[in-house]
Amino acid sequence: MSTTTSTAPGVGRDDLARLAEHWAEPRSLRAWFTTVDHKKIGRRYLVTAAFFFVLAGLSALVMRTQLARPESGVVSPQEYNQIFTMHGTAMIFLFATPMLFGFGNFLVPLMIGSRDMAFPRLNAFGYWVFLFAGLFMWASLPFGAAPNNGWFAYAPLNQVQHNPGLHMDVYALGLLFLGISTTSGAINFIVTALKLRAPGMSLNRVPLFVWAIVATAFMVVFALPALNADNTMLFLDRRFGTHFFDPSGGGNVLLWQHLFWIFGHPDVYIIVLSALGIVSAVLPAFTRRGVVAYSLIVLSIVAIAIISFGVWVHHMFATGLPQLSYSFFSAASTVITIPSGIQIFAWLATMLLGRLVLRVPLLFVIGFIVTFVLGGLTGAMFAVTAFDQQVTDSYFVVAHFHYVLIGGAVFPMLAGIYYWLPKITGRMYHEGLGRWAFWLTFAGMHVTFFPMHLTGLFGMPRRVYTYRSEPGWDGWNLVSTVGSYLLALGLLLVLVGVVHALRRGRPAPADPWEGDSLEWSTASPPEPYNFPVIPRVHSLHPAWDARTAESTTTGATAERVLSDGRRTLFTSELDARTERAVDMPESSFKPLVLAGALLVFFTAMLLAAYPVAVVAALVVAATIAAWLWPPRRPDEELGVAS
Amino acid sequence: MTTGPGPHTRLAGGLLLWYGVLGGAVAWAAHLLVAWPLDELTCAAGREHVSAVPLWLAVWLAVVIPGVVTVGSLLVATLVWRRTARASSAGAEDRAVDRSRMLAVVGVWANLLFLTIIVLGGVAVLVFPPCQG
Ligand code: HEM
Ligand SMILES: [Cu+2]
Repeated sequence: MSTTTSTAPGVGRDDLARLAEHWAEPRSLRAWFTTVDHKKIGRRYLVTAAFFFVLAGLSALVMRTQLARPESGVVSPQEYNQIFTMHGTAMIFLFATPMLFGFGNFLVPLMIGSRDMAFPRLNAFGYWVFLFAGLFMWASLPFGAAPNNGWFAYAPLNQVQHNPGLHMDVYALGLLFLGISTTSGAINFIVTALKLRAPGMSLNRVPLFVWAIVATAFMVVFALPALNADNTMLFLDRRFGTHFFDPSGGGNVLLWQHLFWIFGHPDVYIIVLSALGIVSAVLPAFTRRGVVAYSLIVLSIVAIAIISFGVWVHHMFATGLPQLSYSFFSAASTVITIPSGIQIFAWLATMLLGRLVLRVPLLFVIGFIVTFVLGGLTGAMFAVTAFDQQVTDSYFVVAHFHYVLIGGAVFPMLAGIYYWLPKITGRMYHEGLGRWAFWLTFAGMHVTFFPMHLTGLFGMPRRVYTYRSEPGWDGWNLVSTVGSYLLALGLLLVLVGVVHALRRGRPAPADPWEGDSLEWSTASPPEPYNFPVIPRVHSLHPAWDARTAESTTTGATAERVLSDGRRTLFTSELDARTERAVDMPESSFKPLVLAGALLVFFTAMLLAAYPVAVVAALVVAATIAAWLWPPRRPDEELGVAS
Repeated sequence: MTTGPGPHTRLAGGLLLWYGVLGGAVAWAAHLLVAWPLDELTCAAGREHVSAVPLWLAVWLAVVIPGVVTVGSLLVATLVWRRTARASSAGAEDRAVDRSRMLAVVGVWANLLFLTIIVLGGVAVLVFPPCQG
């Protein structure tokens, strides 16, 4: 079915040579630091986010070891506070979101038939900022200065009177720094998906994964400013004596909560929504048919993105607002289950109607559905106010949101890793190892978190560093801890599987799964220019479509080969009609320099070295100016008069 | 392909289509952002009137007006959906019609969803007195 692209019919030998020359990136140290290739950047996002996942996972193991027995002393209460805060903060901000951005970066241009992201240098910049911000936050832990007030860092406990030291300054500055990366990444996804789709890929032919990433990106753009405002005010309060959250100075403690949850609730969907996009991308290859009810899934993606912004107050039902205002939010909170349900039913229908191929990615999808539905059910139980009052801030809640987050984000990501590993690395994974990894993570997950429902119901509060021996608590806590080691073992096997594939894996063909979207019509791993000929898309499943395939062979036209430079195609937003060719930037040091200057700036602010901060700010401004300076025209560079 | 846009395709591709797709969402967002702070802030100030209008009436209006806007949006989406159905059954693959048709389906369901939320919020207005704690 699939041909290798090195001989790409439809493109002449000299066209291919010119493409290779224009897009080539030498294997040098310099190239490593300056690359703007979305595939390399995507891979870096995946590896770095996985690294932070390991750190956050080790923190979880420390917590579980401490909680295995009553009154144990593995860590001190101060250390425990920092560890659980860093665990939650890192899992949400440094692992889940960037991991999805990694998938998005690698896949969106390939899925829409483009040669790169819309702003490749901004993309590289976003990655470096993510790396530096993550290191900035984790580096505080060995100094005993890590954030220690929970991942939602409520006021007034985040104020300097109640929480001296650098802890919450690291939190505020770290998240502001990271926000730069997330925002620039989101804008890049939106523009890429709107302007760079292959000709013919009108809105009703956009892969569901791309819809999910774009919806997520819009959510980031709208939600993140609330968090940024919150953290700016927090830093001003702590460092410069303002009173935004201090009632004695005319401030308002609830302001923190409102702003945090205006960001925080959509954020849960930011994570889950794009993970659901992975599920919709993986299913067709293992059911041998398109996902059922395309328009309804698009609807549910759009609806979830919008509704999630209107329900933040459901995190604040204990703050004493009037009943009537609660009810506006309850109505919306209840209804959001409908679009999530639509997607689940569409997948189940796809599996029922299709012919199942039970490989590791599909196992993880099934594990996801089981776990996510259970998490959704316990979530629905909170809607019963009497029950909510009973279990709020207990381990029941910890159990619930791990079912949602591990079920709804980690399992789909693992499915995605196994599914796209051949495309990303050019190597096949080992099926048997993958199955072991699945069963261990699946069993480990449930052995760890199911008992937490029980300890929660028996009254064990969350965020305690130890507990007295109580009937019903000790045994189940030990079970949870054993489970968490099983889970860790399973995740280790995933890692072993990836390393094994890289070292020993069979070379992957271009399309090992007979997948339906365009990334499978490129080489494994793809050439630097992705597509020798930019395809013309004729259906929702272009890789299954003979006419689309033909458009890159006998139907190839010069306007879609674009070999006279580093170029790709602009198309119209709604119907993807060809507009014009655009030039893409070359590799550059500026993204790294700019991110480095920002790191110096934020570190100087943290350590109150304000003169250094001013200098760093000047370097930031100068780099931005140099970046935006209009490039010399090539004929001037060559000294040729025009 | 080269014929100028007739009245039908204009309906299918223009602003009206976007009203049909996103009208309910915007109306609900407006409803939330008006009704909730109105209730919240007025009650916090210890009053039961918003500049001479009784609070319950103000909140009621903040439910009914967005509700009506959503119903309008639902009708537009249905209209587009029926017209694109006719256009595509008349044959000839046209990307714009296909795309409008998908957006119309999304619009119909989305508007039903948002209408449900607004109505549920509206029921609450009838049940709870505005400032009950
Ligand atoms: C890998 C296995 C994991 C284990 C064993 C684990 C364990 C725990 C435990 C024991 C707590 C409770 C801390 C306390 O209340 O004292 C906790 C909190 C939390 N976990 Fe996990 N977790 C895991 C994975 C994840 C993942 C994948 C995510 C998100 C993507 C996550 C997000 C959180 C968050 C947000 C909190 C709340 C932190 C806070 O209260 O501020 N965890 N975890
Ligand atoms: Cu929420």
